Amino acid sequence: MNQIAAKNGKPLSDADVGRAQIEWVRRNSPVLDGFVRELLAGGELKGKRIAVVVHLEAKTAFLATILADAGAEVIVAGSNPRTTRGPVVAALKERGITVVAAPDGDHHTWEQELLAAAELAPEYIIDDGAELTMRMMHHRPDLFKLLKGVSEETTTGTSRLKAMQAEGLLTFPTLTANDARCKHLFDNKFGTGQTTLQALLKMTNRKIAGAKVAVIGYGYVGRGIAQYAKAMGALTFVSETDPVRALEAHMDGHTVGSLATVLPEATMVVAATGGMRAIGARHFDFLRDDVVLANAGHHDLEIDVEALLAASSAKQDTREGVETFLLGNRKIHVLSGGALVNIAGGAGHPVEIMDLTFAVQALGTHYLMTTPLEPGVHIIPKELDDSIAAAKLQSFGVTLEEIHADQNDDFGLDKEGI
Amino acid sequence: MMDSTQTDRMLAEEGARNIEWAKQGMPVLKVIEDRLKKSGLLAGVHVGVGLVLEPKTANLALALKNAGASVSVYCQGSSTTQSVVEALRAEGLKVFAEEGCDADRDVQLAREYLQTKLDIIIDDGASVIRLAHKEFPELVESMLGAAEETTSGVRPLRMMHEDGQLRIPVISVNDAETKYLFDNVYGTGQSCVMAMLDITNLQLSGRFVVVVGYGWVGRGVAKYAAAMGARVIVTEIDPIKALQAVHDGYRVQSLAEAAPIAEVIFSATGIRGAVAPAILELLPDGAILCTAGGGPYELPMAALQALGTEKIVRQSVAEYVMPSGKTVLVLGEGDCINCSDAEGNPIEIMDLSLSLQALAVEQIITEAHKWEPGVYPISTESEQEVARIRLEHEGASLEPLTTELAAAIRSW
Repeated sequence: MNQIAAKNGKPLSDADVGRAQIEWVRRNSPVLDGFVRELLAGGELKGKRIAVVVHLEAKTAFLATILADAGAEVIVAGSNPRTTRGPVVAALKERGITVVAAPDGDHHTWEQELLAAAELAPEYIIDDGAELTMRMMHHRPDLFKLLKGVSEETTTGTSRLKAMQAEGLLTFPTLTANDARCKHLFDNKFGTGQTTLQALLKMTNRKIAGAKVAVIGYGYVGRGIAQYAKAMGALTFVSETDPVRALEAHMDGHTVGSLATVLPEATMVVAATGGMRAIGARHFDFLRDDVVLANAGHHDLEIDVEALLAASSAKQDTREGVETFLLGNRKIHVLSGGALVNIAGGAGHPVEIMDLTFAVQALGTHYLMTTPLEPGVHIIPKELDDSIAAAKLQSFGVTLEEIHADQNDDFGLDKEGI
Repeated sequence: MMDSTQTDRMLAEEGARNIEWAKQGMPVLKVIEDRLKKSGLLAGVHVGVGLVLEPKTANLALALKNAGASVSVYCQGSSTTQSVVEALRAEGLKVFAEEGCDADRDVQLAREYLQTKLDIIIDDGASVIRLAHKEFPELVESMLGAAEETTSGVRPLRMMHEDGQLRIPVISVNDAETKYLFDNVYGTGQSCVMAMLDITNLQLSGRFVVVVGYGWVGRGVAKYAAAMGARVIVTEIDPIKALQAVHDGYRVQSLAEAAPIAEVIFSATGIRGAVAPAILELLPDGAILCTAGGGPYELPMAALQALGTEKIVRQSVAEYVMPSGKTVLVLGEGDCINCSDAEGNPIEIMDLSLSLQALAVEQIITEAHKWEPGVYPISTESEQEVARIRLEHEGASLEPLTTELAAAIRSW
């Protein structure tokens, strides 16, 4: 951001730079800045303590300011020690928002940050991986009991919340943002798809035309990556364990097969299963020389880098973000040490995508405050989900077709399915 | 504090790592290097490499050196990567380049570079060839020939030749199919669209993207923008190219017609004033302008700067407020964004262009030095050799040309 300082003639503080970054997000987030802002203006958030625990960069910061503008007492922590951005922290602090995160942290400092957030006794949490929710349960059961609701971002966190519910530990309602269509249909597919390709090409300076790209897992993330790679001229391969998804990949025009058949062809491999060890020791023999491996799933362990290191005769730092392992006479390149490549190696999701995802989170939190719900795991109602998409379309000037009575068939079935 | 020798050594190591990474994606250059080395043809020949100085072109310089040539390297400060300079020096090459130096220093370095008495020049924009003709005619007399990389260099060389001023044969690598069909379309197309996304952290999905000019670069930009979900509108002055764009599935309109919905404009013409100042007020608020392949001269930069409202709103994003109150954003100061804000073309694409340069050097030594001064194409055999080696590396195979097929092709 030095360029900003030099161009505008006066030296800028960290907070100035952070403010500029947040402003860029605002101008590209019509749903949060319009529809969500208006809906929260009813005053229901006034005085409520909300902890926001998401990768702490400009998009998350903008969400925090929206909640603060609606009257909430916002506490901000990061969901990963390496993704917290200094200028953004400075800008948030400057406008009086409580930030318990600092840049350049490690796992230990991050633990301290989450415990500090817990001490501040939030009533609501916008959580990522249920990281803060779980820590409050373990470390501050007294404050955990006072929690009124949690809105969770990821599939991983949803599983954790469901496990807690099964054990009868959830004393408050939770919402799973990932299950909203306005989240997974866009964030997982288009957001991760696009930015994974960006990171792959930026980090390697290689071409996509004619590249042989294997995608492991054909969930929403895998679909997005395969779709963008194919559209850009790659030969695409998909490996999947679910027969229905595998059939879908086949009809989408990708070459589908087991890893044993797909990996020997691939020049780039992207793991997108959301599980662990999608590429493990049993697959190393299938990898060809000079292959690039990247992870687009939640776990750093989706590529088993430890097993790769154990199997290698040497490892070297090849260039920024690229490590090369020597397996016999084959060179295997791993991006970002196996961490989520679009976040570790890029700028994270596009702003417009997070406009949708954070609208789900903000409206979900509002819903938790205004609607009596049983303790447990819930999904935001379809009407709220739809209203977010409608607001986004309106910002593009797109009009919807209306359904008329004479379009129903003789059995008068539900509109759904037309 | 580290002393300067230590800093240089660390830079050299960083540069060497990046050169090594690029080398892995350049198998064609390696095959040609080995062949030239075996031939002994380059022994005792002094070659000057004057391209944008980064890891891919460094591999060309090293390939020529490994094949037996003595190599000097020159580059302007604005296009130089210092870590690559140090890495090449550590390999024993003479390098006349300093990252970030000013234009006066550029000329001084170019003079010193020429005074090393080059037999062959590989040039970018014909800047060194022109300087040599103007200031060092006696050095030009002893040169065997030159090779030129770009369109903007070939044009003035032809003018020099028409005026009877060109004193050496020059091979125009730029005009090779193996260059412009790949470098311009897939290289510049991919890298400019991805640079736009990297700079802005935005999407192209659903956006109206106007591609000005449907030459090779324009086609590449349109292809990759569409792949990222954009609705592409092409503007073109040539009716045949415009018709091609229609058949490729794009809307084709005049820029004035398309402007009111143009959310992003890529200027891909290489022509001064391709986007006229009058277009600015027609654009929607917040429209983004950038250049693919050419330079800021394609955009109405003077009109924008005259507004006096420039504000940098994000790294490499300048905002201008129009008299109407609408804003216009310009990326990378209007420079070609894949060079100003990314690492240029992908490695494998430059493997093709730079291999052609190595073959041009060979051609100059074996035959072209006997030719009259002028601008010549690279040989068809060289082009095919490059394509064949790359195909093999891509795992593709060719259909064999049987005697029956050969006969059928020649039948009439």
